[in-house]
Amino acid sequence: MIGTELFEILLFPGLTFFVWIGFIFDWLDRKTQARMQGRRGPIMAGRYGYLQPVADFFKLTSKEEIIPEVADKFVFLFGPPLFFAAPAIGTIFIPVLGAQAIVSNDYDLLFVLFILAFSALMATMLGYAGGGRWAIISIGRLVVQYTGYEIPLVVALVTPALLARSLSISGIVSAQQGMWFIVLAPVSFIVFIISALAELEKPPFDIPSAKTEIVGGWMTEFSGRPLAYIKLTKDLSYAFLSALAVSLFLGGPLGPVLFANPILQTVLYFIYFIVKLFAVGFLIFTIKTALARVKIDQAARLFWMLITPLSLIQLGIVMVLRW
Amino acid sequence: MIAFDIMVVAGPVLIIVADLIIYILMGRMGKRSTGTGNKFQSFTGGEEAAPRGKYGSELFVFAALFMVAETFVLLLSGSFAAPSYFYPLLFLAGGSGVILIVTWWLMIVGGLRPK
Repeated sequence: MIGTELFEILLFPGLTFFVWIGFIFDWLDRKTQARMQGRRGPIMAGRYGYLQPVADFFKLTSKEEIIPEVADKFVFLFGPPLFFAAPAIGTIFIPVLGAQAIVSNDYDLLFVLFILAFSALMATMLGYAGGGRWAIISIGRLVVQYTGYEIPLVVALVTPALLARSLSISGIVSAQQGMWFIVLAPVSFIVFIISALAELEKPPFDIPSAKTEIVGGWMTEFSGRPLAYIKLTKDLSYAFLSALAVSLFLGGPLGPVLFANPILQTVLYFIYFIVKLFAVGFLIFTIKTALARVKIDQAARLFWMLITPLSLIQLGIVMVLRW
Repeated sequence: MIAFDIMVVAGPVLIIVADLIIYILMGRMGKRSTGTGNKFQSFTGGEEAAPRGKYGSELFVFAALFMVAETFVLLLSGSFAAPSYFYPLLFLAGGSGVILIVTWWLMIVGGLRPK
């Protein structure tokens, strides 16, 4: 029994599965971006270059780790695996093979919200630990952006919870058996995707790590294994946030029941989940490639003046509907 | 699937332990260097960057307070209909504990000190 639990948490449908999805997302992101810009994208590692993110990860881990003189060495070295732990823990609360996740309780959505906030704070700590000048500028931007997108992100996540009358992700998925919540709360879904782009620091909200302005932002001082882990965390967060959108708005792995055999039906649920996951991922790839970076004041204004009120209006409508 | 409550705590702990073990083992693949000299200076890109001490850090105070407030609101919102006090207290202790430690760290390194 313990072996099964370990397998589920660490391999499938837990951590390793989501790390692979993260690698595939990274590759698809680069391919989509390349195609939209008239390029071919990665082609060397594996067929169609699909192993390029894996090759990049191992290349970085084998490179020299340079620890800056002014860095807080402990946080600099051990911050990246804790940064990685945030989305990694979140993955075990996502239902993949049915309505029930590997681990679930009545308040796991709150736990996931805390994980998202912790992730942003870890990025701040890592940047500060590096001691670089560019990182300080980047952290300022990160904090301003974070305070802008966090409230709409939370409101967008609470809306499906209110519709399902449950703070459990598995409970929210189960409540979508009849109708997906994207139909009842479309604005919340849009707000979630926009806030997820900001959380992931993807265009048009890649302001804290804008390469042409502030080198690598808060990641400038990192090299070798810590940098590999930070990049892996970003890939994993990509997959995790897309999976969260699928769970909260698109019914998770649920769909038409075609088989009486539970094993075949579980396989079908898995296929439904993967199809929805890649649909959300492709939506994010396309948006991020199509849009140019905004300035930090524009991002703050957008979130405080438009996105937050929209998310609150949607929440109000849902509250009236549920009354 | 697992319905045992202890996994809510054991699952995340297991992931953190596995994560740290893999991270430490991977450290053997590459070389690590610390020291002094040009190679170990922060990257400035050839710009004349102001020393670290001159940057204002009031933003950290704002962010820290924002996060503490947010966490408490979330926890309270989730606990109003709880059948027992266990989970609200667990999340309250875990969430606020992490934020407290992080805020202490920022204070110790001088991140909250006005310049």
